[in-house]
Amino acid sequence: METLLTIRDLQVQFDTRVGLVQAVDHVDLDVYRGEVLGLVGESGCGKSTLGFSVLRLIRPPGQIVGGTIYFDDLDLLAQTEPEMNRLRGKRIAMIFQDPMTSLNPLQRIDDHFIETIRTHEPMVSKEEARQRAQEMFGHLGIAPERLHDYPHQLSGGMRQRVMIGLALILNSDLVIADEPTTSLDVIVEAQILDLMRDLQRIYGVTMMLITHNMGIVAEMADRIAVMYAGRIAEVAPAQALFDDPKHPYTRGLLRSIPNIKLKDQSLEIMPGSPPHLIDRRPWCRFAPRCAHVMPACQQVNPPLVRVGPGRQVACLLYE
Amino acid sequence: MSENLLEVQGLKKWFPVETGFVEKLLTRQKSYVRAVDGVDFTIRRGEVLGLVGESGSGKTTTGRVILRLIEPTAGQVLFDGIDLLRLPGEELRRLRQRMQIIFQDPFASLNPRMKVGDAIGHGLVIHNIAKGQQKRDRVCQVMEQVGLVPAPVLYEKFPHQLSGGQRQRVVIARALATLPDLVVADEPIAMADVSVRAMLLELMLELKEKLELTYLFITHDLATAKYICNRIAIMYLGRIVEIGPLWDVYSNPRHPYTQALLAAVPVPDPRARRIHPMPKGEIPNPINPPAGCRFHPRCPQAQDMCAEAEPHLVEVAPGHLVACHR
Repeated sequence: METLLTIRDLQVQFDTRVGLVQAVDHVDLDVYRGEVLGLVGESGCGKSTLGFSVLRLIRPPGQIVGGTIYFDDLDLLAQTEPEMNRLRGKRIAMIFQDPMTSLNPLQRIDDHFIETIRTHEPMVSKEEARQRAQEMFGHLGIAPERLHDYPHQLSGGMRQRVMIGLALILNSDLVIADEPTTSLDVIVEAQILDLMRDLQRIYGVTMMLITHNMGIVAEMADRIAVMYAGRIAEVAPAQALFDDPKHPYTRGLLRSIPNIKLKDQSLEIMPGSPPHLIDRRPWCRFAPRCAHVMPACQQVNPPLVRVGPGRQVACLLYE
Repeated sequence: MSENLLEVQGLKKWFPVETGFVEKLLTRQKSYVRAVDGVDFTIRRGEVLGLVGESGSGKTTTGRVILRLIEPTAGQVLFDGIDLLRLPGEELRRLRQRMQIIFQDPFASLNPRMKVGDAIGHGLVIHNIAKGQQKRDRVCQVMEQVGLVPAPVLYEKFPHQLSGGQRQRVVIARALATLPDLVVADEPIAMADVSVRAMLLELMLELKEKLELTYLFITHDLATAKYICNRIAIMYLGRIVEIGPLWDVYSNPRHPYTQALLAAVPVPDPRARRIHPMPKGEIPNPINPPAGCRFHPRCPQAQDMCAEAEPHLVEVAPGHLVACHR
């Protein structure tokens, strides 16, 4: 499998009043061309920060302080700001959680498309760009006359369809979707997931899908990376992760989420809550909540080790 | 003592739509958002009824109208045989200690400048149940029941000093302090982290048994509802489209909307990927709900009559009612 995105030893810090917060803490992650990689974790685990780092959209007090991100042989952290601007939207696109705040309320929908296309492809005429937007609308399942609407005239689901269209209109190589359906109701969410899956196949785009919802990664992802407290806990092919979770956190998480298909499923309770991310000493951050905790867990950062085909776990049980 | 703690009949809440001055002059007709538009259900003592629907279905408004936090437009609500909607203010206030509500957002529903102990004990003071040391003792007792320990220490904290899970426990403790019979829980765990949700659910179930509570559990999350509800009511555009024992509805949903809703829930198992096609579109505007069956414009099984006559709830199995022409 060809690797499109290679993240090594990435560290992102936020300088806050209470201290330096290690939002992304020595993360290694690969994304293969053409796949859907699900990045799951609870709020505050650093999954969105990791996604934003790839586009270098971390704003102060946040800062990327170490590591490398290679995108198709380009060293992203070494690019100048103008070079990054040419990549953003063109080769790496992003779908945000809340489409209302990422669409311009004063701009008609078709102008969003025209601007996106002509910023990166200045030779394209307005008419041609509008034509392409109209074709995209066919894929998105929105009536073409809605192209002249303003964002507030569209429903939440339609706005998210527009965002997906904008992310795909330039044939990006990589789309980072950050909680793309979290603000939507369950039926609209299912519609959007269907659309994303169809378009991902049609355009052959690589997708990094960031979510807190285990159901959504099960539905969409080829491979899954589980994050906890700024670190990758486990990486595995989707089916393998659900069949045989290795990291105690993944195991606990999977046993604590309801599955609507199972009649008699007892929920397991994970004690405690995620830690603060200020503590910099080396230790496994899941140790306080872990049933298998050993003395060594308090002293080292468990490295991500290979435990089977395509599987990696950061847990001393597998050393 | 009747078997039903709560009986709701023909409940309606229409919110008038504010229009501009010129529009007001030009149009005679006032328009309304029909948030709740004819809802009937009962809750037995000790039961948990789930009220499930998407945003805009009217589930939250229903919960608030039942407690008369907002005044209904029409209908009847009997709480333990007492007609709540005809109750004068003073008597309603007295009855309120028996009916409490848990709100979704523990940040928005706690006063940031009030110590959590005082927030939990506020109801005790308002209803003249306890004050001073007596109040403090009662509050500490409830705090221990919901797992806020050590209670005397946490009593003195302010909401921002607690974790999200703890704040949600404060909101639960506050609802339970006055020893209510009925608790309306409006998305009580929606804001909590995935790994603490199971714990809060377990806590709510445990408290229900211990304190003999009855819950109206309002949620959009069908998978969660499975753990706590005995019966479930599915709302769409201000109406209940299906109601029945939880597992009857889940294993044999009759209304096409319920079927879609259940199929749409992402299952944490890649082998169970969804195949059920989704209905087109989204919930329409509740100002002018579709004529006939409100779901018919999106329904894959709609027939001519669905556009004409509004279906009523009909019993299809013991206690399982569906509002669908088919």
